[in-house]
Amino acid sequence: MIDWLQISSNAVIVAFLLYCLSFIAYAVAVAGSRFSNREPETHRKKWGNVGLWLAALGWTAHLVYFFARWAGAGHPPVSNLYEFLMALSVAVMLAFFVIRFAYRHPLLGAFALPLTIIMVAYASVFPSEVQPLVPALSSIWLRLHVTLAVLGEAFFAVGFTAALILILRFTDFSRTDKAGRRARFWAEFTLVVIVIVVGFLVAVFGFRAAGYQAEFRQETVTVDQRGNVIEQENRVVYGLPPIFKPYNSETVSMDPFLGMTEPLFETPSWMNGVNAGRKWNTVVWSVIVGLLLYGLLRLLVRKPLGKAIHPYLEGIDPDDLDEISYRAIAIGFPIFTLGALIFAMIWAQIAWSRFWGWDPKEVWALITWLYYSAYLHLRLSRGWQGIRSAWLAAIGFLVVMFTLIGVNLLIAGLHSYAGVS
Amino acid sequence: MALIQNTKCECGHQNPPGTVLCEACGKPLDEELAASDSVLEMRYDGMARRSQKSRPNPIDRVWNFFSSVKVAVWLIITTLVAASLGTIFPQESAFVNLTDPAGYYRETYGTAGAIYYALGLSRTYESWWFITLLVMIGASLVICSLDRVLPLYRALTRQQVRKHLQFITRQQVVYVGPIEGDPGAWTVKFAEILRRRRFKVRTDGTALLAEKNRFSRWGPYVLHIGLIVFLLAVLSRGIPGWYMDEYVGLDDGELEQIPQTKYFVKSLGFSIELYSDEEMPEHLKGELRPKQFITKAVLYECVAWCDDVTRQPELREVASHDIRVNSPLSYRGLRLYQYDFAESPRLISVRPVLVDKRTGESYGPFELPMRHPPLTYSAGPFTLELRDSFPEFGLDENGEPVTLSREPNAPAFVFVIKGPGLPEEGVPYLYFPREADRQRFGQDRINGEAAELFEIRVQSMEDVEFSTYTSYLNVRVDRGMPYVWTGAAICMIGLLMGIYWNHRRIWLRIDDGVLSLGAHTNKNTFGLRAEVAAALAKAGIVVEAKSLDNRRKET
Repeated sequence: MIDWLQISSNAVIVAFLLYCLSFIAYAVAVAGSRFSNREPETHRKKWGNVGLWLAALGWTAHLVYFFARWAGAGHPPVSNLYEFLMALSVAVMLAFFVIRFAYRHPLLGAFALPLTIIMVAYASVFPSEVQPLVPALSSIWLRLHVTLAVLGEAFFAVGFTAALILILRFTDFSRTDKAGRRARFWAEFTLVVIVIVVGFLVAVFGFRAAGYQAEFRQETVTVDQRGNVIEQENRVVYGLPPIFKPYNSETVSMDPFLGMTEPLFETPSWMNGVNAGRKWNTVVWSVIVGLLLYGLLRLLVRKPLGKAIHPYLEGIDPDDLDEISYRAIAIGFPIFTLGALIFAMIWAQIAWSRFWGWDPKEVWALITWLYYSAYLHLRLSRGWQGIRSAWLAAIGFLVVMFTLIGVNLLIAGLHSYAGVS
Repeated sequence: MALIQNTKCECGHQNPPGTVLCEACGKPLDEELAASDSVLEMRYDGMARRSQKSRPNPIDRVWNFFSSVKVAVWLIITTLVAASLGTIFPQESAFVNLTDPAGYYRETYGTAGAIYYALGLSRTYESWWFITLLVMIGASLVICSLDRVLPLYRALTRQQVRKHLQFITRQQVVYVGPIEGDPGAWTVKFAEILRRRRFKVRTDGTALLAEKNRFSRWGPYVLHIGLIVFLLAVLSRGIPGWYMDEYVGLDDGELEQIPQTKYFVKSLGFSIELYSDEEMPEHLKGELRPKQFITKAVLYECVAWCDDVTRQPELREVASHDIRVNSPLSYRGLRLYQYDFAESPRLISVRPVLVDKRTGESYGPFELPMRHPPLTYSAGPFTLELRDSFPEFGLDENGEPVTLSREPNAPAFVFVIKGPGLPEEGVPYLYFPREADRQRFGQDRINGEAAELFEIRVQSMEDVEFSTYTSYLNVRVDRGMPYVWTGAAICMIGLLMGIYWNHRRIWLRIDDGVLSLGAHTNKNTFGLRAEVAAALAKAGIVVEAKSLDNRRKET
């Protein structure tokens, strides 16, 4: 018998490595155009093509992951957070190829690839075991809903990457007046946020590789409606050294870290539950590692990152980027409407007897839709173009990511089964 | 601002006030605009809109407010922010029965929760201000669309082929250059090239107008109509009888009336289907994971004696279905969904015997259902009259027997036994079918002397029928649903029309051997540029697509 799940998890590793190689090729394409001994246009084209081929190979491996897992699990792999983020990264690559071939833009990959790489790595943070579907998820509409929603969001993601290039391209790093300083600050701030996301991944995978573990116990006493006293004991395992332990908890076990044998602080009481403590601790670690990484990069290039990247982007036509960003979002919008709202409503009608229930995830899908419809109105009817439109696209992507992941991590609801351990 | 504006164009056309570009030839009417050389704003082809009246009356003011896209965007943003506030803490509607919401929010979320509740954010989506926002968006959809679609329709159906030179050279995509040969022949040749690219072409001597995918301009309006239909369909729930949301809990074999209807539903049994070991991944083998929840249900319609408490209603079977998650029972707009289940072992019926302790003889058995028990039973020479029944037996503060609920959790029956050797008025006897209740409440102690005479007991487990689960079904009527889906379908059609096709127009005229070509699209300038460049190349004029972009020349 073929072990489909093994093939599938190997394919992910192959895809990840190929994406990394592709990114390196694209980085050479962007950076090398300023080497003195070359013709910039041919250099970009050549290395851009190498990057594209590697990305296509990586995507093939990624598809192998998808279909092998489908064969192994017996249902399309779109039903927990790991599978969902993997499907999203597959879709981002598909959207990237569509836009890449529609506009023949050689350098879009330089920004789309790192986004995919971060997403694949981020997916791997979550438990990847195949789970049998709970009854509500056994529906064709679930698959249509998730697949199309993910594809629509993938186009928004590509729109974001083009917008990000545009922001870095547009920002004038020599200006020193107030508006100029503000523009520089926000461009740099965006990059810091991205580095913090990378910091999160470095922290999680670093400590996971080292096998770090700490465990805490929290007892809660509640009184139910009939006046019975219910004592509950919750345990939580930390994968990162506890800077913050859960509120009102005892240490069960803790590996020492750099001479630290006791948690340094306690999570404030308004953060409910043991998992809130763990999540807060992870956020703190991400910021610390992210800022360390950022500091290191600053030491290496000796100037703000935006300023360091900016010269390499000068050869790119900003109007093209503006058009690409907007068109990617416009293409994604109907797909998102159909997948994330209409198919979701049909499914909700069949599974939960109502097409709309103001569940947090539903509300955030609606918020995303309203946001992008405001974007389209501002752009088409009020002529917002260029840098303003680019910032809207960047914030829009933040809204998308909050809808996809933030809601699951911060707000519980019907969709919370989508698998956060 | 001048109140009287001269709106007559030099071409002789009389335009209504508020017109930006002459309806006939397209020349900019505003003198300042005519003097500049910026790219023309082509919205609605420069037509006057109703909202641009110079002396608005109060109705006009309301119209003007809602017809503004700026206002529409603010409404969208406000709704978006309002909706997000409702997701901070769970809404009250997320709980099945929340008796003290204020207390719940205060205890669970502290001060923040108390403030959240006090502000009414725990019922955001039912609040008057949220609904008002939605209604305002609806108004904005209607008025924005009407304000624009009519002038746009007029502009597009009454297009003149020969346009003012300024109109052509101030489009987004422009080419100006000399041509060789006869201008008339060139125009005919170019018209043919454009026709092959599926343009509809009209010519007027050496002037030409080519157009394609005009229908795409109606996309946004179709989308807005769809949204209106959708919003109205949602509001239709307010029509009496159009919307119902009820829950029915059924033990196996139980028949219940669906509240507010003449329908009855009976469960033939609830079951849980589990994943088999072969279907489970390696690390979960041996665990119990539910695959499906099924209630075998039969739906009856009451045809007579429905509201008569003294008689059994007459029922007719109308539908039956294995209700599963994702597969409701559906009958004439009534839908029954598998909603929940509870593991609550309950008796359905028992078949006890009556033992005469004086003789040691037993009579019966007789059938005693827990729900809707008959009023008399006969066991040998004895008859039992049911005086009282308690589905969930309990004692109130005065020590009087009461029933705590209507569910048979601790059923008790008071019989009066009549027969040979007994007083005329009979012997009262309290019977608990469940052994545990018999011990707990002390059946023999309560019965006193009667306990010496009789015993009612079940002989074996075969005479006991019980249900392990209670299945909860959600009963829905939502007559607005077909309109909801129609609205959604119209929205999608509008979106596809408007976004995946673009309206493209090309004007040209040849004056003294110089070709002036202008092209306009409502979206995707990139594609239009490429299309014009390709058409020009066919006609022997090779230009780079990017160089046609008029906006670039400015910067």
